[in-house]
Amino acid sequence: MGMVNVTINGIDMQIEEGSTILQAATKLGFDIPTLCHSDSLEHFTSCFMCAVKVDGGRGNLVPSCATKVRDGMSVTVESDEINESRRMALNLLLSDHCGDCLPPCEDACPASIDIRGFLALVREGKELEAAKLIREKAPFPGALGRICPRPCETACRRNRVEESVSICYMKRYISDTELEECGEAQLPDCAPSTGKRVAIIGAGPAGMSAAYYLKLQGHDVTVYEAKGKSGGMMRYGIPYYRLTDQTLKDEFDAIERLGVTVHYNTVVGKDITAKKLEVEHDALILAIGAQGASSMRVEGEDSSGVYSGIEYLGNLAEGKTPDIGNEVVIVGGGNTAIDVSRSAIRNGAKATILYRRTRAEMPASSFEIDEALEEGVNIQFLASPVHISSENGEVTVSCIRMKLGEPDASGRRRPLPVEGSEFEIKATAVISAIGQKVVPDGIIDTGVGLTRWGTVQADPKTFMTDRPGIFACGDCQTGADIAVRAVGNGRKTAYSVHQYLSGQEVTGEPVLFNSTMGALEDVSEDLFIGIEKAEKVKMPVLEKTRRITTFEEMERGFSKEEARAEAARCLECGCDAAVDCKLRTYATRFNADQQYFGGEIRQYQVDYSHEKIKMEINKCINCGACVRACAEIKGLSVLSFVGRGFTTRMTAPFGRSLVDTACDGCGECVAVCPTAGIMFKKEYRIETDV
Amino acid sequence: MEKTKVFVGLGSCGIAAGAQDVFNYLDEKIDTQVSELEVTSCVGMCYAEPVVEIERGGKRVRYGYVDKKFADEIIQSLEDGVFPDKNIITETDAGKAYLDRQVKIVLKNCGIINPESIDEYLKAGGYEAIKKAMHDYTPAEIIEIVKQSGLRGRGGAGFLTGQKWSFLAGAKGDKKFLVCNADEGDPGAFMDRSVLEGDPHKVIEGMLVASYATGAGEGVVYCRAEYPLAIKRLNKAIKDAEDRHFLGDNILGTDFSFHLHVKEGAGAFVCGEETALMASIEGKRGFPRLRPPFPAESGIQHSPTNINNVETYANISYIILNGADAYNKYSFKKSYGTKVFALAGKIKRGGLIEVPMGLTIGEIVEEIGGGTDSGRPVKAVQMGGPAGGCIPARMFDTPIDYDSINATGAIMGSGGLVVMDDKTCMVDVARYFLAFTQKESCGKCTFCRIGTKRMLEILTRITEGKGVPEDLDRLEELAHHVQKTSLCGLGQLAPNPVLTTLKYFREEYEAHIYDKKCPAGVCKPLITIRIISDNCTGCTACARVCPVHAISGEVKKPHTIDPDVCTRCGLCIETCNFNAIEVV
Repeated sequence: MGMVNVTINGIDMQIEEGSTILQAATKLGFDIPTLCHSDSLEHFTSCFMCAVKVDGGRGNLVPSCATKVRDGMSVTVESDEINESRRMALNLLLSDHCGDCLPPCEDACPASIDIRGFLALVREGKELEAAKLIREKAPFPGALGRICPRPCETACRRNRVEESVSICYMKRYISDTELEECGEAQLPDCAPSTGKRVAIIGAGPAGMSAAYYLKLQGHDVTVYEAKGKSGGMMRYGIPYYRLTDQTLKDEFDAIERLGVTVHYNTVVGKDITAKKLEVEHDALILAIGAQGASSMRVEGEDSSGVYSGIEYLGNLAEGKTPDIGNEVVIVGGGNTAIDVSRSAIRNGAKATILYRRTRAEMPASSFEIDEALEEGVNIQFLASPVHISSENGEVTVSCIRMKLGEPDASGRRRPLPVEGSEFEIKATAVISAIGQKVVPDGIIDTGVGLTRWGTVQADPKTFMTDRPGIFACGDCQTGADIAVRAVGNGRKTAYSVHQYLSGQEVTGEPVLFNSTMGALEDVSEDLFIGIEKAEKVKMPVLEKTRRITTFEEMERGFSKEEARAEAARCLECGCDAAVDCKLRTYATRFNADQQYFGGEIRQYQVDYSHEKIKMEINKCINCGACVRACAEIKGLSVLSFVGRGFTTRMTAPFGRSLVDTACDGCGECVAVCPTAGIMFKKEYRIETDV
Repeated sequence: MEKTKVFVGLGSCGIAAGAQDVFNYLDEKIDTQVSELEVTSCVGMCYAEPVVEIERGGKRVRYGYVDKKFADEIIQSLEDGVFPDKNIITETDAGKAYLDRQVKIVLKNCGIINPESIDEYLKAGGYEAIKKAMHDYTPAEIIEIVKQSGLRGRGGAGFLTGQKWSFLAGAKGDKKFLVCNADEGDPGAFMDRSVLEGDPHKVIEGMLVASYATGAGEGVVYCRAEYPLAIKRLNKAIKDAEDRHFLGDNILGTDFSFHLHVKEGAGAFVCGEETALMASIEGKRGFPRLRPPFPAESGIQHSPTNINNVETYANISYIILNGADAYNKYSFKKSYGTKVFALAGKIKRGGLIEVPMGLTIGEIVEEIGGGTDSGRPVKAVQMGGPAGGCIPARMFDTPIDYDSINATGAIMGSGGLVVMDDKTCMVDVARYFLAFTQKESCGKCTFCRIGTKRMLEILTRITEGKGVPEDLDRLEELAHHVQKTSLCGLGQLAPNPVLTTLKYFREEYEAHIYDKKCPAGVCKPLITIRIISDNCTGCTACARVCPVHAISGEVKKPHTIDPDVCTRCGLCIETCNFNAIEVV
């Protein structure tokens, strides 16, 4: 066969006559995306991902997988126009792709922990591997497993069956089991030293998470901590009955064991300047947290006997017993208010929380509110302080009743004072817990910018500040937030710092495209057909009288049996093909937007009838590769195109199930499916499906 | 004595209008001693169906609107030996306006001869073209004549027929196929049906000439199953032609052979696309495929294949008999001959017309068609079916030729010409045609399958008053992607109705989106029907006809409509005799 001359994106080449444009371009190193194309099949030209432009043509795009080269042909295979067309093809395909790439729990986790994975390992009795798996994303399974507010459990699809899987406690179980069996956290090996030096200000969850992942990359990491111990707000903002000193030591010390140096009791801005740290290191991470208490904006809030929640909890963490008397009023509705009130109870006081909205709007975790009420905390809803005064050790809080008005910017209904409803409360102490703010004094000399909320300005994806080489993560970048986000952002910051130190472009941790079937309440009922109800395992707790008199850890942990039973409740959501799905890969590469169009989407429709093969027609993109593989390779017609227009589907014909066809499970179709439309069944599906 | 002949037009359209009943009635009552009843097909004056013609002493008079009552008068006049003097539809001003501008080449025999009689076709000069072709010309010369005639494919794309034939003639292969595309699926189009029902032999003869010129030994007429009468008459014509040795082996005693059969489609619009059509003939799902290879290289069963439309073949015998020059004396720019149109929609005189190239759209609509049936101003015409576009009245001086029509954004298409008056909502029209194409997408290509769906959703949203300003940009963006990145004509042309209405009637889209108004008063969620008190006489007719009892009022006093109950069906407006109900 003769050779022809072809020009591809301006590059001249020779190739055998009869070759396709795709073959020619691939030979030159162009990576043309294809979905319906398979080398083992006749071309079909349906997906139009491989569309290219023949120069001097009619202006339309042609599928390169099937268009043959001609002598003298000039083709553009990559251009803005072509990329836009590919992105649009993906937007369209995804708009009719009903499936979750990631399990919703993992998608909801700010640290992106592989929850489905560690639950599966627990079920198989591989707790040590589970601990390692968690540590790939977050180095504090024991601490997070005790205090996380669990966005994962809110998103858990099991909520639609009865209750979410107890994901959070499982991390604790895994960590406890690891400590029991190994005596200490098992840490991966660090990469050989790069000789690069990184300084981190703040040994809290963000700073130490960043330290951990940077050290693993072989960088030399030094942490500067103002307080005497590490843990940040996990230690100084959370009472020991929820998260013990021992757990904090176990997990934070492990990072020092890895080779990270922490200088304690070193206040940056006083003992050493941030500027100096910047100059002496190759990169600097600001992880100083949000250490200041927000003002209540109430007249008399400076009166004696009025404290802030973080001040009070900080003292407790340092082993002091603050003198708060026996009647404490706490102002606020977040987790800190709850922690303060329950600590006050343990300090032997009566605790009353004033919250200006109702329970439904309370930002604190619902289960923690329940526990507080159980322990005797009195919560006054729709009440707000207007004036505070103190005299002879007695604090008088003048309050007013509130009612809810229209929703405000946060989506919560705005509290409005009810005229003439003033009342007074007498107390021995008032503790405000209405929020925290960043105290940037020590880092201001680095010249980083601040946002109008007073947080450090940094790119939300790379966490680099407007000063190259200086990064910010944790509460000082997000504002006061939950620990798991600080941990996750610490890891992401480490990724960017590593890119920076390696001389790469700082792009941040890659985020893969994630298709979703929608919010928990929106997904089809059909997803849950055949799933038997199984009660969520309750966390054993310390008996109540002991609980309210000591700071001993309240929750006692799962037994092996309890943990495994709980892990078995996982529905294993998410897609089995997520790691090698071409649709997802391209959606990431071309920055596709599943919501660009909205509109009607195919419904959840699966065929699990066959012993080996499962079809998720809801995820099919109509490339027809399965139909063609069956016909061309196998000579069978198990599958066919059914219907016309938008509702065209690839199924067994005549409304049959796969089991009622000639399918022998050879898997030729599975091999060519570019997504998860047709797959081999996994073991667990055979067991659990009806 | 010569008998008086009575012809009844029994095309599908005539039958639908009651012509079969008229025929049966006449058949029962007519005195066969003096008169003879004949079957013919549609003569194209669909607006006047049922049509009956009386021929006596060399004079043939055409009557329209024939019902049983008028049939009795016909019977009486036959007995009296006179022509009835009412309901004549040809010699009137309207009839002349309808007919005088037409030139009948393709439709010459339609409604004139009995389509089920090969003898009548022969009497009308039938099968002379193939004889002349075989006798006078070599295949190469035939192709040259067809090239010289300038005939372009009447299926819509307008490719030069002679050139297409030369590809097949030059293609290598033991077996070659000739296909007649009779899968006419555009809403409102009935050109091919009328030709097949009215003059099937002419199509067969055109294919015969093509077979002789190209060396294709086997022919297939791919006809949609929804045309049972056309299929019946075509099958009979094939059999008759075989019996007279015009088809089959050793045609006219020579060694030239051509076998022809009919393949019925199964209802998929996309099978009118040539590659899908070939797949369907092979017994596969009607999926279009990438070209090249073109059918002339690799078609049915990978053999070289030529595909032409019914109307294209129906032009051939004229060209052979009269020569290329005679044919292309009807010409305009690069378009030659005549074009058949199915004139439909809100038109006074709808029907099947054949006009020379170069006539303007306005001449067709206003002169031949007589303007709208409602008397309201014409707003636009939709040309080319769902793949075509809307041409506004202000561009009615556009001449009928492939290039001029294409320049408007519409296409010549196969000849559907739908007339719209000012009470037609152009957004709704775009939505209607796109809904058709979306449903008929074969489901293969991403942009056509999902892209047209998303476009349709946007259009539907706009007609429901839920459109947002970004919708227009998104609609246009998507339309261009679908146009540019679809495999076949169905997808590539599907955005045309949207793009042309956006181009010429953008303000209507904007009124729907920004003002939440449908200027034409069509889109139900955007209109309110109300009674004009000053005009209302309180006759109660509207209240009685309202299916949801939304109208109330006392007798002889102005009525009112409850907008919350009203479904905007419009029955009241049709019922009111006092112009007292309006759409706002």
